Amino acid sequence: MFSSFYLPPFFFLMAGAIILPLLPKFLRSGSFILFPLLSLLVIWISPFGDLLTVGFAGYTLTVAHVDGLSRMFGTIFALITIIGGVYAYYLEDTGQQVAALLYAGGALGTVFAGDFLTLFIFWEIMAFSATYLIWARRTKESEGAGFRYVLVHLFGGGLLLSGILLHLSGGGSLELTQIIRDGSLSSRLILLGVALNAAVPPLHAWLADAYPKATVTGAVFLCAFTTKAAVYVLIRLFPGWEILIIAGAVMTLWGTIYALLSRDIREILAYSTISQVGYMVVGVGIGTQLALNGAVAHAFSHILYKSLLFMATGAVLYTTGTSKLDQLGGLAKYQRWIVGLYLVGAFSISGIPFLNGFISKSMIVSAAGYSHYEAAMFVLMLASMGTFLHTGLRLPYYTWFGANWGVRPKKEAPTCMIVGMGIAAFFCILFGIFPSLLYTWLPFDATYRPFTVPHLVEAVQTLGLTFVGFWLMKDRLAGEPAIPVDTDWFYRKTKPVFWAVFVRSVNFFFDTMEVKAIAFARSVAVLSKNPVRFFMHDESTDTTYSANRYRKPMSVILFVILVIFVVFAVRGTL
Amino acid sequence: MNRNLWIALGAVIVLSFIAEFTRKAHHWWENIPGFYIIFGFIGAIALILISRYLGKLFIQKNEDYYDVQ
Repeated sequence: MFSSFYLPPFFFLMAGAIILPLLPKFLRSGSFILFPLLSLLVIWISPFGDLLTVGFAGYTLTVAHVDGLSRMFGTIFALITIIGGVYAYYLEDTGQQVAALLYAGGALGTVFAGDFLTLFIFWEIMAFSATYLIWARRTKESEGAGFRYVLVHLFGGGLLLSGILLHLSGGGSLELTQIIRDGSLSSRLILLGVALNAAVPPLHAWLADAYPKATVTGAVFLCAFTTKAAVYVLIRLFPGWEILIIAGAVMTLWGTIYALLSRDIREILAYSTISQVGYMVVGVGIGTQLALNGAVAHAFSHILYKSLLFMATGAVLYTTGTSKLDQLGGLAKYQRWIVGLYLVGAFSISGIPFLNGFISKSMIVSAAGYSHYEAAMFVLMLASMGTFLHTGLRLPYYTWFGANWGVRPKKEAPTCMIVGMGIAAFFCILFGIFPSLLYTWLPFDATYRPFTVPHLVEAVQTLGLTFVGFWLMKDRLAGEPAIPVDTDWFYRKTKPVFWAVFVRSVNFFFDTMEVKAIAFARSVAVLSKNPVRFFMHDESTDTTYSANRYRKPMSVILFVILVIFVVFAVRGTL
Repeated sequence: MNRNLWIALGAVIVLSFIAEFTRKAHHWWENIPGFYIIFGFIGAIALILISRYLGKLFIQKNEDYYDVQ
C-alpha cells in the first residue's frame, strides 16, 4: 500500500530543478537547500525494502530500494548538497543551481536504484548535469574539458549499458545484486563502466582534467557525487573481487605522485581524490564485513572533508582569481578563516587522530592487515603519508604560508562560503571525536575501535616523520609552471590522429562520394536532356532537346494520308 | 617554524615510541622498535624524490603542451 504514494528521495531534487527557475530571483539561492533537506527527511523516514516499482517494457523497475547501504550514501549525498547550497548562497546563476540539483538527484537516484536499468538512467543524468557545472565556468579550457568529460562518460556509460544488456540477455536478473566472479564478458563490461566513474587508472584522467576547470561551486558538487556513487555500485555488485585490491592500491599511489607534481591547487585535490577513492576500492576488493564498512565510512568521511577542501581552494580562486600554486603564497594573514577551515579538512584527509579521516581510513588499513594483504597495507600507509605531504602540507604551505609573489585577495570571500565550510568542518570534527555516531549506522556487521594504541602509534609516527621529511625537502615541492601529463594524453595529444581517422577520413569518403554522385547525376542528366539524340543517331553536338529539329516534315503526313486515301479509293472501285 | 611546535612534535613522537612497548604486535614489522618512525621518514623522502624523478622523466610538460600540435 505504502508504495503507491511514496515519493522517492531523488524526486524532491528533480522537482527542485523544475521549480527553482520559476521562483523570484532573490528566493532561488535560499530555497535551493530546501530540496535536499526534504530528501534527507524522506531518506530517514523510509522503511527498508522496495518502496516504489514501475512497470516498463515488460520489466518491473525498482525505482526506490532502501537499505542500510543506500541510506548511508543517500544521507551523505543529501547532506553535502545542503552544505554546498549554503556555500553557493552568494551565486546568482540559475543554470548552475539547476544543474547541481539535477546532479544531486541523479546521485540519489543511483544509490536508491533497485535494478540495472534505473541505475543506468540516473548514471547518465549525473554525467550530463556534471558537464554543465564544468562548462558554466565559461573559459576556453573549461569548454574543452567539459567536452572531454562528457565524451569519456558517454564511453563509460556505453560500457555499462553493453554489460547490462549482455547480462540480461544471458538470463541475468535485473535486480542489483552481487555479481558472481565467472569471468563473463558482461560482468567485465559492467566492472569497466563502473571503474571508469570510480576513476580507476587508466580510466581516471577525466577527473583531474575536469575538476580544476569547473566553477568554484561546481567543483564542490563534482568531488562528492560521481566517484562515490561508483564506489557504492562497486560495494553493491563486486565485493571481494580481488582485482580491485590491486586497482585500488595503484590508484592510491598514482594519485599521490601526480598530486605532488600538480600545479593547480584544485588539481592537487583532484588527484588526492583519486588516491582516497583508491582506499575505498581496496576496501571493496578485500570484501570482508569490516573492509566494506570501512569503504562506506571512508566514502562518508571523504565527501565531507574533500568538499571542505574544494570549498576553501574555491574561495582562494574566487578572491584572488588564480589557483596556480606557484603564483600564490603568504595569503594566511588575509584569510584566517579560510586557512583554518582548510587545515581541518587537510588534517582529516591525512588521517590525523580525532578527525573523521582517521576513523574511516584506519578501518580499511586494519581490514587489509586482518585479511593478510600486507603489501596492500603498506601501500595504503605510504599513500596516507603522501596525502599528508600534498594536501596537508604542500598545498597549504605554498598557498597561505611561504613567500607572497604579489597575488593578493581582490575581494572578501562571502560569509556564506565561510558558513558552508564551517558546517563541513564541524562534521569532520564531530565524527572524528565521536566515531560511534557514524559506526552505528554502518550497514555491515563488523565492529571497530579506532582509538587503540597500535593505531595511534602508527598514525603519530608516520605522519610526524612525514612532516619532518617535508620540512627538509619542501623546496622541491614548490609549484612549477608545468602540467602533469596523464593518460588523457592518449585522447588529447593524439587528437590529430583521431581527427584524421574519425573526422577527416570520414569527411573525405563522403566528399568523394558526393563528387562522384554529382558527376553521375550530371551524366544521367545529359542523357535525359535529349534522349532522342541517342535513338536517332544524331551526329550534331547540340545536347539540348529542340522539338523543331526532330519534327518530321508535313509532307510525310500528307503523303501517308494520301496513300491511305488512294488505297481505300482503289479498293472501292474494285 | 616555531621552536615550541618542534618541541611538541618531538615530545609526541617520544611518547608514541614509549607507548609502542605496551601494545601487542599484530605484524612481524611491529616487533622492530620505532619501525613507523623509520618508515615514515624514509617513505616521505622516497615519495618526494621518486615523484620529482618521474616528473622530470616524463610527467611534467610545458603548460601549452596540449595546445601545440
